[in-house]
Amino acid sequence: MLITCPYCGPRDVSEFAYQGDGNRTRPDPASTDGDAWHAYVYERLNPAGPHNEIWQHAGGCRAHLAVIRDTVTHEVSSVRFARDHGAPAHVRRKSGAKA
Amino acid sequence: MVEQLSPLGQAFRPGSHGNFANGVGVTLSEIAPGSIVQAAAWPGSEKKMMAAIASVTGLKLADGAGAGAISERHAAFGFAPGKFLVTDVFEGLAAALAGQVGPAIGTATDLSHGRTAIRIEGPKAEWVLGKLFAVDFEQTAFPIGSGISTVHHDIFAQIQRSGADRFDLYVFRSFARSFWKMLCHAADEVGYEVI
Amino acid sequence: MSPRRTPSGGRIDRLRTIRFTFDGVAYTGHQGDTLASALLANGVSLLGRSFKYHRPRGVLTAGVDEPNALVTVLRGDVREPNLPATMVEIYDGLVAVSQNRFPSLNYDVSAVNQLGGKVLSAGFYYKTFMGPVIGPLKGTRFWMMCEHFIRRAAGLGRAGQAPDTSRYERMNAFCDLLVVGSGPAGLSAAREAATSGKRVILAELDPQFGGSANWSGETIDGEPASAWTADIIGELKEHANVRLLKRTTVWGYYDGNTLAALERVSDHKAAAAKGAPRHRHWVIRAETVVLATGAFERPLVFPGNDRPGVMMAAAAMRYANQFGVLPGETIAVVTNNDSAYRAAAALNKAGATIVAIADLRPEISDDCRNLARECGAELLVGHAIIGTEGGKSLKGVKVAHFDAASGVLAGEARNIQAECLIMSGGWSPTVHLASQAGARPVWDAELQAFLPPEPDKGWLGAGAFKGSFSTAECIVEGFVAGRQAAGLAQIEVETRPHIEPAALDPRPAPVFEIKAKGKSFVDFQHDVTADDVRLAHLEGFVSVEHLKRYTTLGMATDQGKGSNVPGLAIMAEAVGKPIPEVGTTRFRPPFAPVSVGALAAERFGDLKPERLTPMHDWHIENDATMYPAGLWFRPMIYGDPGETVEQAYVREARTTREAAGIVDVSTLGKIAVQGPDAAEFLDRVYSNVFSTLPVGKARYGLMLREDGMVFDDGTTWRLGDNDFLMTTTTANAGKVMQHLEYFLDVVWPDLKVHVTSVTDQWAGAAIGGPKAREILASCVTGTKVDNEALPFMGIVHGDIAGAPVMICRLSFSGEMAFEVYSGAGHGMHVWEALVEAGKPFGMVPYGLEALGTMRIEKGHVTGAEIDGRTTARDLHLGWMLSKKKPFIGSAMMDREGLTAPERLELVGLVSLDNRPLNGGAHIVLEADPENPHGSLGHITAACFSPMLGKYIALALVSAGKSRHGKRAQVSDPLRNRFGPVEIVSHHFFDPEGKRMHG
Repeated sequence: MLITCPYCGPRDVSEFAYQGDGNRTRPDPASTDGDAWHAYVYERLNPAGPHNEIWQHAGGCRAHLAVIRDTVTHEVSSVRFARDHGAPAHVRRKSGAKA
Repeated sequence: MVEQLSPLGQAFRPGSHGNFANGVGVTLSEIAPGSIVQAAAWPGSEKKMMAAIASVTGLKLADGAGAGAISERHAAFGFAPGKFLVTDVFEGLAAALAGQVGPAIGTATDLSHGRTAIRIEGPKAEWVLGKLFAVDFEQTAFPIGSGISTVHHDIFAQIQRSGADRFDLYVFRSFARSFWKMLCHAADEVGYEVI
Repeated sequence: MSPRRTPSGGRIDRLRTIRFTFDGVAYTGHQGDTLASALLANGVSLLGRSFKYHRPRGVLTAGVDEPNALVTVLRGDVREPNLPATMVEIYDGLVAVSQNRFPSLNYDVSAVNQLGGKVLSAGFYYKTFMGPVIGPLKGTRFWMMCEHFIRRAAGLGRAGQAPDTSRYERMNAFCDLLVVGSGPAGLSAAREAATSGKRVILAELDPQFGGSANWSGETIDGEPASAWTADIIGELKEHANVRLLKRTTVWGYYDGNTLAALERVSDHKAAAAKGAPRHRHWVIRAETVVLATGAFERPLVFPGNDRPGVMMAAAAMRYANQFGVLPGETIAVVTNNDSAYRAAAALNKAGATIVAIADLRPEISDDCRNLARECGAELLVGHAIIGTEGGKSLKGVKVAHFDAASGVLAGEARNIQAECLIMSGGWSPTVHLASQAGARPVWDAELQAFLPPEPDKGWLGAGAFKGSFSTAECIVEGFVAGRQAAGLAQIEVETRPHIEPAALDPRPAPVFEIKAKGKSFVDFQHDVTADDVRLAHLEGFVSVEHLKRYTTLGMATDQGKGSNVPGLAIMAEAVGKPIPEVGTTRFRPPFAPVSVGALAAERFGDLKPERLTPMHDWHIENDATMYPAGLWFRPMIYGDPGETVEQAYVREARTTREAAGIVDVSTLGKIAVQGPDAAEFLDRVYSNVFSTLPVGKARYGLMLREDGMVFDDGTTWRLGDNDFLMTTTTANAGKVMQHLEYFLDVVWPDLKVHVTSVTDQWAGAAIGGPKAREILASCVTGTKVDNEALPFMGIVHGDIAGAPVMICRLSFSGEMAFEVYSGAGHGMHVWEALVEAGKPFGMVPYGLEALGTMRIEKGHVTGAEIDGRTTARDLHLGWMLSKKKPFIGSAMMDREGLTAPERLELVGLVSLDNRPLNGGAHIVLEADPENPHGSLGHITAACFSPMLGKYIALALVSAGKSRHGKRAQVSDPLRNRFGPVEIVSHHFFDPEGKRMHG
């Protein structure tokens, strides 16, 4: 499996570390809503199909990536920096090309 | 001033090794620059950081991921979003960069002791590196001056192509000896000279 | 002259003679021979014994699909079993032996298994090893004993015990176009793509490029096919953008167009070149893959079809044309299609007598009649082979009338003398890689074969892979695929290549089996017969996946390359459904066996890189016993001659507490936390407050996980307003770094903070003990280190022996102690200066054992207590949980279960029987060695305390604090250690901390 890091280009999955379900939102730090915290810490979507995931390019630029990956086909349809909320989905570049 | 001690120790064996009967495919050396500094910009301040690097080193970096440049004295390249590795033959680069990089632009972190710079040069450099890293080392994909971040199993490496058949690898100092041994092992097939 | 070698012809180098042995007998062959071709040339037809029945087996194929002729190759003590003799190239000194026979290949005692054939039919294990047995071997034990013997009798080659000293390597490659297979289709594709300048890799599993061109005997546009091949290879070699890989099997097609291939770099040589690997594991990332993998000829299923001397027709032709070897002087043919006629003609031309051709079809073309006539064969149309005769080699075949439509045999069977029977049951395109990539093969009724579907992924197909069996089609399709893959405009092919002789009709009759009395093999390697398949159906297995698992059809090392389709066809007939409705199994990697060494590549030995501190060489020179801590190596003890480990650490710890000791702490994780929001960030990730920490001071910090459990601890030093140096435990350095990065990147991207691993930037030496300050004062310049200049948790900068250092006064041992940080490149220099300065004061270096001992005496927690299940309060660190601010974990840490009174709490233990305690031992109220139960908790760390003169331990014990002063028992059944302990406070020594505050 390859993940196309928006910075580094397409790299082998072995360079990446899965960092969990990308659909979670962390409650306000001061929140005492136990259910909200429980949902954030423990509840995970487990769809068969496209899934929002967080991956870290741990063996590369170390950036966290918001990845949409099909859990059935492993097809990665979108990769963007996790910090850029709302940024356009990444378009796969030519192999090895630099931006 | 006290000289830095190489982490390679006895593993550094000058001379020709491996299958060198018909000439060596690569030469391996430790560069030991005086300074290795990470310059990291806040998002949006990348241009200012590049200007700061230019003012200290004279190296003008192009826009874009992994862009880099080299001179006799300095080297610089992007290795992560907003982050650059900058080197100087001489010590003192961290202080010089810190002087140019205010808290509004980003940070400068001295890694002069923390990273070990290893150079591999020769017609078989791409071949040998291909054994260790899942990265496309061909020049069309990896132009001169540019840099990348990658990993060989547990060993992180930042790599700059400093010539047509020359690469400079920056690895964590504690892994340097182990990595050096692996690099030598990988170079056995093509013959290598340690200088 | 070898008995079966033709006087001329073939693509072997007859001037080069190669000597080898098989089962201890010396033979010769020629450069270019495989072990199979060389043995056949020497008249050896018996190469192995079959898996279950120990039936004699010979060579069935000439390639990677070989199920029968598996051999073991010996190199010194290293044995590699289960290699198809068809894939082993001979070299001078090759030593090969046959397998699965006792005492010898010719006289095999287990061959009696053939007589009891019914017993070992499909599902034998499932049916036999069941049911009760009474007596001492009750339960499954009896069956396990039987299995031991049966497994010894059934099977393949034996693995060796000797370590494999070969070198294996991995290579990562990138290309625009990977062409798999170098027959006419693959070569044609590669040639087109090469001219485009695109990066091309051409992989061929055989030792020579050209595929069928090496043995087809055809001419292409007037020149021999092999010359045509050589021209193209010569052309491709001129292109810098083309990489040619022979002896390279592409065996895996993974996501993202990543393909795995195995290059057999040195197997064909007596010894690998210096530094060269035996195998190279290629990981190829290709934009596009052109699959030109050809097709496998299918065996026909009939009684005795496994006898040595029965061979695939195309294989026989290959032996004649490529190797100059005749598999027999007199050859019979059985076929359901035209292609075998070409083989017969080739064998006849090479000198064999074709005694008869039994064609299963009721009618055949004039082309076939002419070919049969030309080779002087008796043509038996509408006939089948219903049995074979001979022992370990074929003597003759039985022929009878056969009606292809009904499968009914008629008339008297007739015997025909022949040394060899060649067969063709049609062709199965090699769709394995496409199937691995997710393509579902489609049944083609005309060709009676599964063909790849229209490509929709990263691959294209060409040639026989697509069911286009003529060389002309192969070349044209390769041309088109090569241009398409290279992104070139398609151009009209001006003239189709002219191939002589002209192609025959590729369509076989839909006959897979000739039903007659006797064992008819479908899967030769796993000894699965047609009756086994029908038995599986009778017993209710209707899914092809179940059929496969129940009968083990297609599960041998050849992965059913030949047996798959015949097996399906027989199943389909039994079920009464057409073949496509029965379905096919999806192929999985690997396409052919892969050496494990190649997958491990450079990760041999302990498989891990070593991480060394700047002072590593000093430790070695000073007789430290090194201890792996993750990837790090740390001194465990610096033992004096004759000392036990306990004596050494007790001496080191005692000397430290009495005078001084020095320890290498360079492995502690160190993270630079920099930026205007660094203090705010630390307040969020630590449970205690850091924003109030003044510059030049350090503070002990505690991190929780989101779920409220303790994550890590360490000190963080404020070096500047926006500049902190965080330390972590050695073990958690990577995890903490990732944790910080995650929150900065994903949760709080607005914070202006950078975190950078600087573990390797700093060498750390901690010196502690009553003399520590004096020692430091004697060697540091540029700063004072007295209580005023350097109070507890203070930081100063100075120099030691000319190297700049940063000194923080903090203590892990409970002694007056200082951590001296220097640039890692100066670490050895500073360490040696400190050791020298310590000599007049009696300072000793100490290792992890003494470090652990002193921290246990002080009751400090570390990894064994921070095990992911303990809360701050469990560890009596509740005082570190700030109430003034939220932090990671604060929302979850007060949950009911995490504040329950019966939770395990940190306590101290004192051994009351004066015997050592062990980590992992349980704490109980009453020890019950016979039936251990009633655990109250467990020991996390234990040592002999030199200061208390007792064996002590830290433990996590339920409601531990309430048990202080009470007695309990250790229960350690694994080590058979039981005995009384007293539960005490974890602060064993100097609970007020007078020593470190000095």
